[in-house]
Amino acid sequence: MQAFLREYSRPLALSVLLHGVLLGSMLLVTFISSQQHLPPVQPLPIDAVVVDSKVLHAAQRAQTERAEQEAARARADAEAKSAAAQADADARAAEEAKTAAAKQAEAEANAANQAKAAEAEDAAKAAAAEQQKAAQAQRRSEADKAAAATQAALDARRAAEARKALEASQAAASRAAEAKQAAEAKQAAEAKQAAEAKQAADAKQAADAKRAAEEHAKQDREAELRRQLADEEHTSAVESGPLRDRYISLLRNKIQNAWIKPPSATAGVDCLVQVTQVPGGEVTGARVTQCNGDAAVRQSIENAVYRASPLPDPPDPALFERNLSLRFRPNE
Amino acid sequence: MNRQLALMALIGLVMFCPRTWAELVVEVTKGQDDAIPIAIVPFSSPEEAAASFDVAQLVSDDLARSARFKSMARKDMIDQPHTGAKIGFDDWRRLSNDYILVGQLQPQGADRYNIVFELYNVLNRQRLLGYQISANKAGLRLASHQVADMVFEKIIGVRGAFATRIAYISVLGHLPSKTYQLMVADADGANPRVVMQSNEPLMSPAWSPDGQNLAYVSFEGRLPTVYVQLLKTGERHRVSARAGVNQAPAWSPDGRKLALTLSTREGNLDIYTLDLATQAATRITDDPGIDTEPQWSKDGQSLYFTSDRAGGPQIYRVGVQPGDKPRRLTFQGSYNARPRLSPDDSQLAFVTQEDGAYRIATMDLRGRGDVLVLTRGHFDVSPSYAPNGAEIIYASRDRGRGVLALVSADGRVQERLVSSEGEVQEPAWSPF
Repeated sequence: MQAFLREYSRPLALSVLLHGVLLGSMLLVTFISSQQHLPPVQPLPIDAVVVDSKVLHAAQRAQTERAEQEAARARADAEAKSAAAQADADARAAEEAKTAAAKQAEAEANAANQAKAAEAEDAAKAAAAEQQKAAQAQRRSEADKAAAATQAALDARRAAEARKALEASQAAASRAAEAKQAAEAKQAAEAKQAAEAKQAADAKQAADAKRAAEEHAKQDREAELRRQLADEEHTSAVESGPLRDRYISLLRNKIQNAWIKPPSATAGVDCLVQVTQVPGGEVTGARVTQCNGDAAVRQSIENAVYRASPLPDPPDPALFERNLSLRFRPNE
Repeated sequence: MNRQLALMALIGLVMFCPRTWAELVVEVTKGQDDAIPIAIVPFSSPEEAAASFDVAQLVSDDLARSARFKSMARKDMIDQPHTGAKIGFDDWRRLSNDYILVGQLQPQGADRYNIVFELYNVLNRQRLLGYQISANKAGLRLASHQVADMVFEKIIGVRGAFATRIAYISVLGHLPSKTYQLMVADADGANPRVVMQSNEPLMSPAWSPDGQNLAYVSFEGRLPTVYVQLLKTGERHRVSARAGVNQAPAWSPDGRKLALTLSTREGNLDIYTLDLATQAATRITDDPGIDTEPQWSKDGQSLYFTSDRAGGPQIYRVGVQPGDKPRRLTFQGSYNARPRLSPDDSQLAFVTQEDGAYRIATMDLRGRGDVLVLTRGHFDVSPSYAPNGAEIIYASRDRGRGVLALVSADGRVQERLVSSEGEVQEPAWSPF
C-alpha cells in the first residue's frame, strides 16, 4: 500500500488536486446560480373587478364627447382668435389711418393756424408799426422788420394762391380725363352696338337655316324637363313610398334574425341603437343610446347589429343612409 | 365687419348643429331563439396539470347544457390564444363567434392552482371579464363551474347555477332488498356522494336556506320521521316524530322553522309549522281533507300547499298568521299538486295531469295566472327550481326507469340527467 502510494504519489496528488478544483468550481457555480433568483412569476394584470361594458361605453363616450368638445372649443378658440387678430389688424389699420388723418389734419390745421397767426401778427404788427410810425419815426428798423413780415405774409398768400391754381388745374385735368373716358365709352358702346347689329343681321340671315335646329332644341328641352320632373317624382316616391318601406323591412328582417334575445328582453323593453354603416352595408359601429333593458339586453342588441353585417342594400341607392336608428321592442 | 359677422354665424352653426341621425327607424320586435356562439379555447397548462383537469371542457359542457350557448368544436379552432392580447378578433369573427373565453391553469406550488381567464366580445372587441380563481386540485371542478357561472351571467344577464348542487333519492335493488340512498351531487351530476342510506324508504329532501343542512323523511323506525342532517359532519337530529304522519318538510326563508304535514289522531292530515329551536308546532290548516306538500313564500308570510278539500288535489295559499282562510289558486284540470315557488316568487311550478299523464306546469303569479305546461313526459313529477330560477329539475321515467330531467323555466330547453344505476327520484336543487 505504502509502496503503491509512494510509486503513484505524484499522479495521486494531481488527481486529488484536480478533484478539489472541480468540486470547488461546481460549488461556486451552484452558489452563483442560487444567488441568481428566478424572476418571480408575474401574475397577469387581471382585474379582480368586473368591467361593465356599460360603464366602459359611457366612459369612452364621455371621453369622445370631451375630446369633441375640446376640439370644437379649440376650433372656436382658433377661429375667434383669428377673427380677433383680423379685427385687431383692422382696428390697427383704422387706427393708423385715423392717426395719419389726424396727423394730416393737424398738419393742415397747423399750417392754417400758422398762416392765420402770421396774418394776425402781421396785422397787429402793421398796426403797431403805423402807431409807432405815427408816434416815433425813429423806430425804422422795426418798421423794416414789419415790412419783412408783411413780405413773408405776402409770400405765403402768394403760395396759397399758387396752390389753389394748381388744384384748379388738377380739377380741370381730371374733368378732361372724365370727358375722355366718356368719349371712349361712347365710342365703345357705338362699336358694340354696331357689332350687335351685325350679329343680329347674321342671326337673321341664319334664322331660316336654324329653324329646324331650334325645333330640335325645343324638343330636347322639353324632354329634359320631363326627365327632371320624373326624377323629382322618383326621389319623393323613394323617400316616402313603398321602396323605403321595403328597405326598412329588409333591414328589420336581417337584424331580427340576428338577435339572440336574453331572458330579460321581455315585453316592455324599448331600446334605441345608433348604427353606422358604409356603402356595401358593412356595420362600422353600433351603440345603444336609450334603453330600459339591462346590460345583457344592450349587449345582445349591439351584437345583433354586428351579426347582421353586411346590412342589406337598399332597393334604391338614393335610400342609403350612413347612420340608422334602430328601435328594438320585443313583443311577447 | 361683414366678414366677422359671417364668421361668427358659421361658428354658431358648427357648434349648435346637433349630430343628425337619419330618421329611418327600424323596429325589431322579435328575436331569434338561438344559442349564442362562443369559442372556449383550451386553457394553457403545464403537462401534469393538463393531464389532471380540463377547465375549458367543463366550462364548455356547462354552457352547452344550458342550451343558451353553442361552443365551437376544438378541431375548428385555427389558433389557441391564452391571453386577450393574443386574440385575432377578425379570425374569430369570421368563424362566427360572438364571444371568446381564453385562460390558463397555473400551478402555484403543492396542490394549488390559479385559473386565470378572460372573456371578450368578439364583435366589438370589448373585454367583459378578467378574473383569477385559486383552487386546490379537488376544487378545480367547482372553480371551473364558477367560471361558467360568471360567463353565463355576463352574457345572459342571469346568475349562473352551475356551481350549485342537487339532492335526490336513489333506489337500488328490488324488493324485498331495496336500498334507499339520500344523495348530493354537483348540478351537472358529477361528484355524487351518499348522505344517508337505509333499507327503509327515504323521502322529501329539502335544503336549508344556507345550503348546510338537509331535512328529509326517513321510515327507518317503521314510522315516518323528519330528520335534519348537517352535510359537513353528517351529524343529524330527529326533529319530528309525532304519532301518525310526519312528512313533506320545507324550510322557512329564515331557516328557523319547518313547515310540514302532521296528522291528527283520526288520521286527518294538516299543515303545521315547527319551530326548530323550541319544537313548538303551530297548526296552519284545519280541514277534513288532506292538506300536504307545503312551501314557503319568499317573505315567509304565506304557505302554498296541496289539498283535496274540493275533491281532487288543487293548490292553495294560506297566510301563516292564525285564522287565515286558504285561497284556491289552480282551477285548470282535475289534478294540480306539489307546488314549488320560483326564487323570486313570480312563478309557481307544480305537477298537473293532462291527457292522463303527469307533467310539469308553471303558473304566472304576477300577471293573469297563465298556466304553461312545460314537459311532454308521462310521469314528470317533483319539480324543483334552480336557485337562479332559469331551470326546473324534476323526476321523470325513461323506459320504466326513474331519471332526473331539466326544463328551462320558459319550457324552451329540455334535458335529461341519466344515472348509471338504479332509480332516481325527488330531486331538490340547492340554494346558491
